[in-house]
Amino acid sequence: MNAPPLAPRRLWWLGAGFALWCSALVVLYAVHAIGCRFAWASGSLRLTLAALLLAHMIAIGWLWHRFSLAMRGPGQTPIGAFVHAVIVWTLVAALVSAIIALAPALLLTTCT
Amino acid sequence: MSEHVDPASNESPALRLHRQLSAIWATGPGLQRLAAVNHSVIGVRMMVTSFAFFAIAGVLGMLTRVQLATPNSDFMTPEIYNQVFTVHGTMMLFLFAIPMVESFAVYLTPKILGTRDFAFPRLTAYGYWCYLFGGSIVTLSLLFGVAPDGGWFMYTPLSSNVYSPGINADVWLLGITFVEISALSLAVEIVVSILKMRAPGMSLDRMPIFAWYILVTAMMMIVAFPPLILASILLEAERAFGLPFFDPTRGGNPLLWQHLFWLFGHPDVYIIFLPMAAVLSTIIPVFARRELVGYRAIVVAIIALAFLSFGIWVHHMFTVGIPHLALAFFSAGSVIVAVPTAVQVFAWLATLAHGKPRWDVPMLYIFGFFFVFVMGGLTGVMLAVVPFDWQAHDTYFVVAHMHYVVGGALAFPMLAGLYYWLPLLTGRAAVGRLSVVAFWIIFIGFNLTFFLMHLTGLLGMPRRIYTYHGFEGWNGLNLLSSLGGFVMTIGFAVLVIDLFVQVRYGRRAQRNPWGATTLEWAMRLPPPSYAFASIPHLGEGGGPADADELRLSLARGEGYLGSTRNGWQEALGVHATSGEPEQLIVLPQPTYLPLVTGVATAAAVLGFLFKAYWLSLGWAIVVIALLVLAAQRSGHARDLGPLPIGKGLSVPPHTEVEGSPPWIALVCTLVIDGTLFTSLLFGTLYVWTGLRGTPPAMPAPDMVRVAILAIALIVAAAIARRSLRALVGGAMPMGSVAMTILALLVAIFAGMGLIARIVPAPTEHALGATASALVGFVIFHAIAGLVFLISNLLRMRGGYVSQRRTLDLRLTRGWLDYTAVTGLIALGLFIALPGLVGVLELHP
Repeated sequence: MNAPPLAPRRLWWLGAGFALWCSALVVLYAVHAIGCRFAWASGSLRLTLAALLLAHMIAIGWLWHRFSLAMRGPGQTPIGAFVHAVIVWTLVAALVSAIIALAPALLLTTCT
Repeated sequence: MSEHVDPASNESPALRLHRQLSAIWATGPGLQRLAAVNHSVIGVRMMVTSFAFFAIAGVLGMLTRVQLATPNSDFMTPEIYNQVFTVHGTMMLFLFAIPMVESFAVYLTPKILGTRDFAFPRLTAYGYWCYLFGGSIVTLSLLFGVAPDGGWFMYTPLSSNVYSPGINADVWLLGITFVEISALSLAVEIVVSILKMRAPGMSLDRMPIFAWYILVTAMMMIVAFPPLILASILLEAERAFGLPFFDPTRGGNPLLWQHLFWLFGHPDVYIIFLPMAAVLSTIIPVFARRELVGYRAIVVAIIALAFLSFGIWVHHMFTVGIPHLALAFFSAGSVIVAVPTAVQVFAWLATLAHGKPRWDVPMLYIFGFFFVFVMGGLTGVMLAVVPFDWQAHDTYFVVAHMHYVVGGALAFPMLAGLYYWLPLLTGRAAVGRLSVVAFWIIFIGFNLTFFLMHLTGLLGMPRRIYTYHGFEGWNGLNLLSSLGGFVMTIGFAVLVIDLFVQVRYGRRAQRNPWGATTLEWAMRLPPPSYAFASIPHLGEGGGPADADELRLSLARGEGYLGSTRNGWQEALGVHATSGEPEQLIVLPQPTYLPLVTGVATAAAVLGFLFKAYWLSLGWAIVVIALLVLAAQRSGHARDLGPLPIGKGLSVPPHTEVEGSPPWIALVCTLVIDGTLFTSLLFGTLYVWTGLRGTPPAMPAPDMVRVAILAIALIVAAAIARRSLRALVGGAMPMGSVAMTILALLVAIFAGMGLIARIVPAPTEHALGATASALVGFVIFHAIAGLVFLISNLLRMRGGYVSQRRTLDLRLTRGWLDYTAVTGLIALGLFIALPGLVGVLELHP
């Protein structure tokens, strides 16, 4: 029996990893700007930023785990396997980008 | 009904089918050409128009180089010089680069996908006319001495009324917004067509890489353009009506312009680059005579590039005073964006390395691309490093970097693509060695002009300066740079002569002259108006293994839709992922409506430009009426059920299925609108955090009106849902539609009452201005909802809506759901603003 065709709405997942990357960047930028505007203590601002980044990284990591498992599932059509592979690799790339671009900066002085 | 090709006729089946299809698809002669909606015709027109703007912008660039060739030059006055360099940049980017890549997409995408046209041909034509008229307004302004003169990025407050009185800045804001309408309409068109109109069997994993690039680019445009459109609307509202969004003396924030501009501006570099990378990824395997290396890796890379390019807009603003920690985010992000770019460059190099490359003119330009683009990319990485950027910011180093990136990403691949697809466009092959001569002159001229600008920049020469004294050490470099500019221009002149000779005297090109495997070569040269006599089904091998055999088979009508029916322009709609056929799409015939709507839109823009606001409003109403009129001619006035499409298959028309092109177009439109809305929320919060000193009193808004507005929106959305349910149940819900209109009218009047009572007044302070913008957004969407509903009533009366043809009411439901959700969010922020201002008083 033929497997059902991959639903078009699954295509949104192609952008999920980097959408989370963008979300992490914008949220960190906004919270940092607001924290500096309202003169939050350096330690608590840094902690808040780190927590926000961690939350995003956990979200990307969880999606990676989920799609990696789905890839190993039975009954994959060629198009399904292709889309899953692309989703998994965009998630990997997004996670690595998030760590490199956003994590080291949190060690810098917060508001100068 | 279906008229099949008669094999017993004396005429060959292929010729007979060709005549029948030509009669249906061809654009008429003479003035009827103005009614053209065919993608091939519009694509070629866009290409010619964009090259015309390129030539004008090139001449303007030459004038700036004449002015800067020697110190203390009085070749131009400072006022004229400002207009010349501003229009040079504006025209190169907005009127040449973006439309030119779009023209490639418009002309090639349907052919490469194996379909006959785009999903909305009238929208393609409307987009073209908007582009032509908007570009003409900007060009003519130069002749009348009222061209924009604040730089192509129009930074505020320089471009505000105080420092730029007159209409110069308005020309930019209105003309470019007009052109952006064109870009967005084409972007929606491209996304829908790629997702729904591929050749059957072309699943996403077997889609030519060209289509992946164009799909991602069109999606980027959908998200990138709205912030700039919003910025232009806000600045024009400030200039025309005094709403101080960017005026720091009244609480506005000039840096908001830079944020919104670069949220568009940085991704735009990749919006230009990706289609040209599509050209390279298509051409290189053909010349290397092997498959592209790393198809999947490239798909991952372009998705990554699309997102990363949005996340690094602040690297254009490293010197505006952002804290180091935030600068580090954007600096690292800007460096990382080089990785997915490099993945593609290495994939191309690997393809060449593993293949047996043959040399021809397109390969020369590909060599030029590698050299120039890698140079531009490396200086980009240098500028991504904050300390270096602080040194080089606003110097000629940045000008050099930008020209290397744009020249490498755009000009050289574009010329490679032009020579590659010229046999397809003209049906003629190259005649001489002039192409090679033209390449070398352009290549040498380009590097002489722009490489030296790195050095003048490092020696401290600021960009945008009118002249210099002569003792700075820039004289020789500037003179050589200007000479390089002339050499490059001579190269382009030789190229134009070469193209002319090829088109006029070239011998007939043999079919598929490069031995390519993409579908655009599986047709006659030059392509007929209907592109494919019948639609191919892609086999397991992906592209056509034997293009000649496939072409003959398709010409004989052996694919899908290999016959004519009712004089309809037919195309196939497929499942978005698997590419299986699922609907018959009947496309509109040539019509003057796009031209007339374009003229009316131009009249509305000109009315605004000359501050005749009531006249402008009148023309805007005409535009809306024309759009409603266009909608009345779409679809079928009765249920048709499944119709045969060949190969023993029958599918229903697109009006009778879910997931039809108009529905996906609505989703794209809502994404565009949602991005604009998000930008507005960002702008409101940015103005709020930027407030300094004691903010003005901002009393709580009139909560009764807020409640009426919110309830009216919710009621309208609920009745629209009920109308759809009633239609599906077999009723014709005219009464429900009328009630929805009533609810929206209540919402509009409540919203207008709210704006009239905003304190501080919208013209007095940015807080009032942003509050009125939030409510104005809601009112605008309620008015658009009214237009949807009026169209629904007319189409119900005309018999275009039925229990099976529910598309109209589904579109209206989608719009009103969106209006209610965004309306409630906007009203929430509107109510919260006084409280937020109160927080500021606690933390001055």
